[in-house]
Amino acid sequence: MIIFFVLPLLLTVVWSVFERTMFWMEPAFTFFSYENFFFSSRLENFLSSMFHSSISVVCAFFIGFPIAIFIRRRVRKVAQHRVMLLFILPFMVSEIIRIFALRPILSRNGVVNSFLMDMNLIDSPFSIFVFTPTGVVIGEIVSFLPFMIFSTFLALEAIPNYIFEVCADLGVNRRRMFKDIFLPLAAPGLFAGSVFIFVNGIGIALIPTILGGPGSVNAGLIATQAIIALDFPLAMAVSAIMMFTLMGLLYLGHRLFNLTKLLEPIS
Amino acid sequence: MKKNNAIELKNLIKTYGDVYALNDVDLNISDGEYFVLLGPSGGGKTTLLRSIGGFIRPDSGSVVIKGKNVNNLPPDKRPTSMVFQGFALFPHMNVAQNIGYGLKLQSIEKNIIDEKVNKMMDLVGLTGLHNRKPHELSGGQQQRVQLARALILENDVLLLDEPLSALDAQLRKDMCIELKRLQKTVGISFVHVTHNQEEAMSVADRIAIIADGKMIEEGTPQEIYNKPKKQFTAEFLGEKNILIGKIHNLNKSKIVLDINNDKIEIANNNYDVSKNQEVSVSIKSESIQIKKNVKSKTNEKNSIVGKVTEITFLGQFVRYLVLLSNDQEIQVRSSEEVVNVKLNDQVILNWKLDDFILHNE
Repeated sequence: MIIFFVLPLLLTVVWSVFERTMFWMEPAFTFFSYENFFFSSRLENFLSSMFHSSISVVCAFFIGFPIAIFIRRRVRKVAQHRVMLLFILPFMVSEIIRIFALRPILSRNGVVNSFLMDMNLIDSPFSIFVFTPTGVVIGEIVSFLPFMIFSTFLALEAIPNYIFEVCADLGVNRRRMFKDIFLPLAAPGLFAGSVFIFVNGIGIALIPTILGGPGSVNAGLIATQAIIALDFPLAMAVSAIMMFTLMGLLYLGHRLFNLTKLLEPIS
Repeated sequence: MKKNNAIELKNLIKTYGDVYALNDVDLNISDGEYFVLLGPSGGGKTTLLRSIGGFIRPDSGSVVIKGKNVNNLPPDKRPTSMVFQGFALFPHMNVAQNIGYGLKLQSIEKNIIDEKVNKMMDLVGLTGLHNRKPHELSGGQQQRVQLARALILENDVLLLDEPLSALDAQLRKDMCIELKRLQKTVGISFVHVTHNQEEAMSVADRIAIIADGKMIEEGTPQEIYNKPKKQFTAEFLGEKNILIGKIHNLNKSKIVLDINNDKIEIANNNYDVSKNQEVSVSIKSESIQIKKNVKSKTNEKNSIVGKVTEITFLGQFVRYLVLLSNDQEIQVRSSEEVVNVKLNDQVILNWKLDDFILHNE
């Protein structure tokens, strides 16, 4: 825990206040890198990447959670894990290829646009699907949706069957079932899935690199670019800011929703 | 006074593949009656209960509750509530929320729900535990919450599916008394499934023995325990002394049985049997007297000779195993050790004429 978690985090923070040299960095105590981050367009990019990640989280919730509920309730018990395995299949292909494959699908002359055109649903092809922040959001949903499904399914799987029988006896309708049963009981899974998608949304440089246009940059990409520019303290500063943002969000979530209560084992 | 039937089941059949879970079951349960379905595991009693509750659709037959055929109604549309096996509570809701949830679904005003929940919590003995979560409650308390959750809906029938199976023995005894009291207080019919005969005897007004998807027999606890009509019932209730024999002779008051050439007499309680019919009889081990004998024959009435093969001290009583001349074994329970009866002694067993019960099947 200390070697693999605390130490790297500490080093990230320590290095972020070092001074930049031509090819490396030397020990110092300066907030130059932080200034560099906060007083440039990088801050704006960072905030917008948080915004886009949030959208991805919400979309993944609305797509992934119903899928997980469907598998829990409508698929036979013996087949449930096999169905879940289907969602692992995409991971057999490298992430770069998976995301790159979205380009021909989403582009102006891509599969989606041709289909919509052929069905006479639109007159001219949509160009917002790719090389835009929308493209990044779509890419994030495609990449991370399985994680939302996995984590919520695991939480739903832990719900004992008698709950559904009690609901049948009391006459709980679908809306109530969702609100009173699934949502609270799957909350730990929803939370885990959301955090995962959010963190990857702001941290993974690959998706905006491939699917994003000139304006869509996330924190991971900023850090990557800083490393390419051999500005290691800046890269460290961006990483540290990401870390603190996440910790801040977790703390906020904890204050608002009492995470310990949310995550306490359901017995 | 004849009571109205709360539940009438006619020709209920349910199969799973080739297995009959319910094989043509007819059953009537009266209003305000505490009815117990007793039987071995896998005998179909839970299937029967779930058919009444609407969780299982029988293949054929009808379920009538309060004079209304409910065959095609889902569980929530039937005038029944269910207490499930194990601790079936909503883990994320506290006690009051669990109990009031059924009412909340009916969009009843909050202060009315609160009032009813309070009343119900007092009734089942949960006063003051409103804000506890299920995992903070003991097993007995959790079952009380389930009871309250079911009773608060004020349905005509409460179905209990092995409600006490997860509790320890002492708690089970206490809860039995509690359940009986509760049933008398609310006055509705309880249908209780269990495989535990002690539990069944202590709560039931009437008991039905269910096995292999069939109703073996029904009656009051006294009838079932003291005068079981079927051999299966006697065996299921733990009767060890079951003898098989042929009817040698019979008249209005007596039946003479031939058990491997030993003749024994039993009282004829209007049994529907005929001469030379093969029947089984049983006798309670506490009804037999044991005494030492030196001869290998006995001329006394209502008696038989045997050899003691085992003597076990069991606290409240002493158990003797006696091997009869025809290789059948008889258990005798005596409240105190019989002086001078030792292992391998020849003994005479005596009983009263009407201690033996005859079983048709």
